[in-house]
This record gives sequence, structure tokens and C-alpha cells, in this order.
Amino acid sequence: MNIIGTDYLIFGVDDIAACTEYLTAFGLTPVGVDDSGGLFEALDGTGVIIRTKGDPDLPAPLPTATMLRQQVYGVRDASDIEAIATELGKDRKVHRLADGTIETVDDLGFSLKFQVTKRRKLDMPAERINAPGAPAQRGPNELGVWETMPAKPRMLSHAVLFVPDIDIAVRFYCDRLGFVITDTLVGAGPFLRPKANDDHHTLFFIRTPEYMKGIEHLAFHMGGPTELVVAGSRFVKAGYESFWGPGRHKFGSNWFWYFNSPLGTHFEYDADMDKHDDDWVAREAPFGPEASQMFLLQHREKWAPGGGPGPAR
Amino acid sequence: MELCRLDDLQNGEARGFVVPEIDRKIILVRREDAVFGYLDACPHYTDGTPMAWKRNAYLNGAGTHLACHAHGALFDIETGECVLGPCLGQGLTKVPVNIDKFGGIQATIGILAEESA
Repeated sequence: MNIIGTDYLIFGVDDIAACTEYLTAFGLTPVGVDDSGGLFEALDGTGVIIRTKGDPDLPAPLPTATMLRQQVYGVRDASDIEAIATELGKDRKVHRLADGTIETVDDLGFSLKFQVTKRRKLDMPAERINAPGAPAQRGPNELGVWETMPAKPRMLSHAVLFVPDIDIAVRFYCDRLGFVITDTLVGAGPFLRPKANDDHHTLFFIRTPEYMKGIEHLAFHMGGPTELVVAGSRFVKAGYESFWGPGRHKFGSNWFWYFNSPLGTHFEYDADMDKHDDDWVAREAPFGPEASQMFLLQHREKWAPGGGPGPAR
Repeated sequence: MELCRLDDLQNGEARGFVVPEIDRKIILVRREDAVFGYLDACPHYTDGTPMAWKRNAYLNGAGTHLACHAHGALFDIETGECVLGPCLGQGLTKVPVNIDKFGGIQATIGILAEESA
């Protein structure tokens, strides 16, 4: 069952206007959005869908504060949908929709949909670096940064879920759907990637009590660390609230910068994540500040040398 | 210290104020003619975490509760108690506020400043 990754995350929100403003400022492109919500997509077509909390077409909400209503997974082709329907149909209802997609519920109550992936193939350069010892990646007179440079989210990267039972979650996603564990932060949870995706993780679980079940954060891939910091800095300047970052994680190696959001979950810009194959042996480290990042930076107001560095705030 | 004037805060509005001595903002929420003050620090994390999703955006969509926009926790405006979300049973740190006779909103931050040091 060739699951590639999450195509869409669907939320039932209590303020469509606020979420529309936020998702647009974050760098996602509204597609057919009106006051009943709609899709906000990254450059490859993956993204976030918002609807009003009371929308009758949404799956039932979890009995917690979370606004996440469904995770939509993209697979390679229709035969993968058949394989998933057969496997999960062994012990739960799998609804087949007229458009060829299927809907069901995982072992923790999260609503899932599977579709032939709607993501578009991207063909754009990664961040280009000049360094001694290797051929220059930028030609002469080609700039690394300029004031109006684009910094748009390219692809939905991953989701992190609060779950009451990690073993149940792992058994479902790994044993039933073929995800593999790439690394584990002991005391927090495992990083998972689906078989047909070589990114370090598209899913991460954190164990919490039942009343916290939901989504901790979601992340979008940027084209490199500079795009990530440029996008995050513009976002801070526009008044949005930074939570953690910018920094670089150890497991996954990806750059990160998390922000609060009116969707009741953190939004992350990430970049330059490790890729793995089936030869990879999963690592373990105890969860804590040391294991969580290689380094951590803090955005600050611009200054220029002239009278000393000024206060850190 | 005076954070702002009562006239600067609409009924049902919330705003955050940077205060020099402490490292979290102070949230003021107005309900009719009463003003409630809280530290902008969600109790979900040990050191508290800033709760707005944008400058001054501290309320839920309906405007009925204070909300933490990290994981969606909701807090009663008049008591600061968490009524839904990860910090159920905990509450926001109250900041004593009173309205002086000139219409200025005064916050008592002495104890918070000591705790911050």
C-alpha cells in the first residue's frame, strides 16, 4: 500500500475569517475559499482545509479541544486504495465514496481519508550554497538573498498527534498501514514515515492523557534554511506569535520554526530534512532539551554596529 | 502601573501589554465595565507560554473565552480557569487590576516582577 504522505489536514474552526487571514499570511494559497472555508495549498497542492466547526459534512469531532477533523492521505494509485480498504475492512467500517476515495477511523478515533494523491510534482531548485571545497552552486552575480525574495511553503511535511496510547497508534500505522519507525524520543514518542516516502517523518506521536487527544502541530517544507528564516521573520514582523525556533532538530536534522495559530495547533516551517531507506537502523534518545535540537536561535530586532550590541530582547 | 485607559479597551476586547520588569505580557480583557488581568502564560507548560495567535488576538472565535493558540485551551474570562484543553483544572495567573478615578487601568505587578527576577 504505497502511502506517500498527508495531502490535506481538515479543520473545523470557529473563526473562518481569522484562519483565512492567518493561512494566507503563512504563505499558503487560497483555492476556492469563501466564508464557508476552503483549501489553502502549498506550491505542490498539499495543504490545509478549513470549514466551520458545525459543518455537517465534516466527520464528528474528537471529544477534546482539538479542531482537527480528518487526515487525508495520498497514495500512488487506485490499487493502493483497494489494498487499504481490504486490510482495514477486516475489523472496521470502510466507507467508499463516489469519487473513489475511502474514509475510515484509526484505532484511536482519528478520522482518515485515502485518495490517489493530489500533490503535483515540483521542479524547483533547493537553496543554493557557495562553499570552499565544492563547486559554487550559484553562478557569478547570482544573489543569495534580496528583500523581496520568495519564501513560500512547498509541501505539507508532517503532523504530530497527541495520542493516549503509543503502542496502539504504532500497531495501527506500522502493522496495518506499513509505516516504519525511523527514530524514537523516549518519553515522547516515535517518528514514522510511510513506506513510499523517504522523508525522516510524516507522523510523530506524543503520549498524553485522553482529554488532550488531537494535533500538536503541522509542518510545511521550505526550500532551505534561508527561506525558512525569511518566511518566519516576515511572519513575526506581521505580528504573529513565535513559539519555538528558529533552530535545527537532531532527529530528522530539519530546521524548524513553530508559531501559534487560530486553528488551535502550532504551524511549523521546516527545511532540509534527512531522508532514509530500509537500511536505516532506528535510534533512541531520552526526550529533553538536549535531544530536541542541535541549536536554538531567537528572532530579534535588526540592529547595526555603532554603539555596542544592545539588549538581547 | 498604568497599562492603558478604559476608553482604549472596547467591551469584549482583549489586549496584551509588554511590561519592562517581567518576561511575559499582561493580558487585559474588558467585560462591560469590569477589566480582568492575566499573565500571558499558558499553564500547560511549566514556565508558561505566550497564548495569542497574532498581536492582541487572545480570544476564541466567538469571543466568549480567552484561548491559548498553542493547543486550543479555553479559559473563563472572569476567573481565568481552564474549561477545555490540555490544562484542564489549571488556571491563568491573575494580575490584580483596578480602574483609577481618571479612567486609567492600573495593574499591580510588584509580586510578578519579584518572581521573574
